[in-house]
Amino acid sequence: MTNDSLRATTLHSIAEVLEIEATELRGSDRIREDLGMDSLGSLELLSILSESLRIDLEVDRAMKIVTVDDACRFVEASWVDQRENPGHTRGAAP
Amino acid sequence: MSADGVCSLLVSQARRFGESEIDGSAIDARAAIGPALLRRAAELGFFAVTVPEAHGGLGLGLADACSLVEELARHDRSIAVTVGLHLGLGSRAIVETGNESLKARFLPSVATGERIASFCATEPSAGSDLTRLETSAVFERGALRLDGEKSYVTNGGFAGCFTVLTRTPGLGGRAATSLLFVPAESPGVTIGREEHKLGLRGSSTVSVRFDGVRVPVDAVLGPPGAGTAIAHRSLEWGRTIMAAGCLGTARGALARTVEHASARVQFGKSLLALGGVRADVARMAARVHAMAALVEHTAALDVRRQDLGIASLVTKVFASEAAFEVCDRALQLHGALGFMEDTGVARMLRDCRVTRIFEGANEVLALRLGTAIASGAADVSFAGAAPSDSPAAREWARVSARLAEQAGELRRREGVALVKHPAVLSRLGRAAVRVAAASASLGRSQRDCAVAEYTATMLVREACAELDAIAFADADSRVEDEVVDELVGHARVSRRSDPARAEVPA
Repeated sequence: MTNDSLRATTLHSIAEVLEIEATELRGSDRIREDLGMDSLGSLELLSILSESLRIDLEVDRAMKIVTVDDACRFVEASWVDQRENPGHTRGAAP
Repeated sequence: MSADGVCSLLVSQARRFGESEIDGSAIDARAAIGPALLRRAAELGFFAVTVPEAHGGLGLGLADACSLVEELARHDRSIAVTVGLHLGLGSRAIVETGNESLKARFLPSVATGERIASFCATEPSAGSDLTRLETSAVFERGALRLDGEKSYVTNGGFAGCFTVLTRTPGLGGRAATSLLFVPAESPGVTIGREEHKLGLRGSSTVSVRFDGVRVPVDAVLGPPGAGTAIAHRSLEWGRTIMAAGCLGTARGALARTVEHASARVQFGKSLLALGGVRADVARMAARVHAMAALVEHTAALDVRRQDLGIASLVTKVFASEAAFEVCDRALQLHGALGFMEDTGVARMLRDCRVTRIFEGANEVLALRLGTAIASGAADVSFAGAAPSDSPAAREWARVSARLAEQAGELRRREGVALVKHPAVLSRLGRAAVRVAAASASLGRSQRDCAVAEYTATMLVREACAELDAIAFADADSRVEDEVVDELVGHARVSRRSDPARAEVPA
């Protein structure tokens, strides 16, 4: 999976949780302050991403995400990390 | 005069006002406070409390607003809610984030009560979920054009200005929200009819429509696109002031109960001499103690400019539930007399009921708190530290550690799948509320040693019960799902078999 498709998946998932169009999101939007997503929404987002990408996302690290771009980078890093250390993934990469 | 002196004077004025001029029963019966009482409240300076001195106000803080609202609520909750909403949610955003020109134009009339302030967030299709807002303001000919409808707007019927949370697609992206300051006389503002309510009948609750209302750009409160964040900060004040109102009502209910139970003779003894009654009254007093401790704790955080987010949430959830419990117990201890409107206890119970719903339904807030703790977004240390080495403080330290341990264990075991266990998260949130309330109570043990110890011990036990129940929460929710599915199935069958309702789609 390329970084572009991981970013697209992340944007799509954020938009799904917020019930808006992914095209409305900007990388600099702050997930809590600008988009109004609280910790429950953030957790829901992580759960959706974790299931669709079949990777584990660390809650502690995820809670430090501020912007949409941060979320995309976090997902990309988790994807790379778990592809390089497959023992840590919950399932095989699609 | 010092700020403390001004606050004491206001509270004593509120007491005299309550004792000699407020007739809560009459307000309830006619479902209106009435302009004369509102004018009188304005003359006494109640609407000026939190407006800066530079704009004609008293420049006092959250703790002072809480003291005033608590006192007003002892006499009548409708007036307390009206004043409290004005001082908190209604005017907080313009005071804190409005530009100087806007403040200079409008705050003097907010301080005099000429413009009573109101806050518009809830919409017909968006309740507790502020991400579902449909009201929008878009740029058009050098100003913002505001369109949409807001529901359950407190003070709306006689408000002079509205703080409106709206989507502002042109400011900060399509999903961004901003807060707008809208004078009530703006063309395009339409006030709906007064809602017929269970309680708080004297307060105004209406819907407000905005049809093409032109809002100058300088009426955007705070940074454009930061509406939700600023609204949450206003909510922190709003929830704390609401909790102070709950405290006032509960104190009133407790005082009436002690008076009634002392005078009433049953089985040859004063009611207050009976063991069961004494236990009930002690429990009521413990609830009141914890509510007062939490309100004081949260207001003190504001003085120190610390984050009120979680503390105000905890204080709102605890105080709204405790006040209802105290009023319900007061009604019970009044016997059949309590069920009669003349005693005023029934009205207190009705007036309290909505506080578990508005400014964030308690179920949603408990779930959010549990999620924040389980995900590590909130540290359990918000609950404070045991301030003494008493038996209750030691029990508190144990349950506090257990809460942190169970939250950590859940995070390690479930990871992001935590979100699939709302029943568990709610239990965790409810346990945290009690742990925080116990901590706040222990913080007052220097002043009220016996009641603080008793209160903390009771709350620690309640927190333990919530934590114990976490083990069964998932299993319980599976059974609950089956029960609800069965009920929905029965409802569909009965609809199909009822010709009168057959047309209604399932």
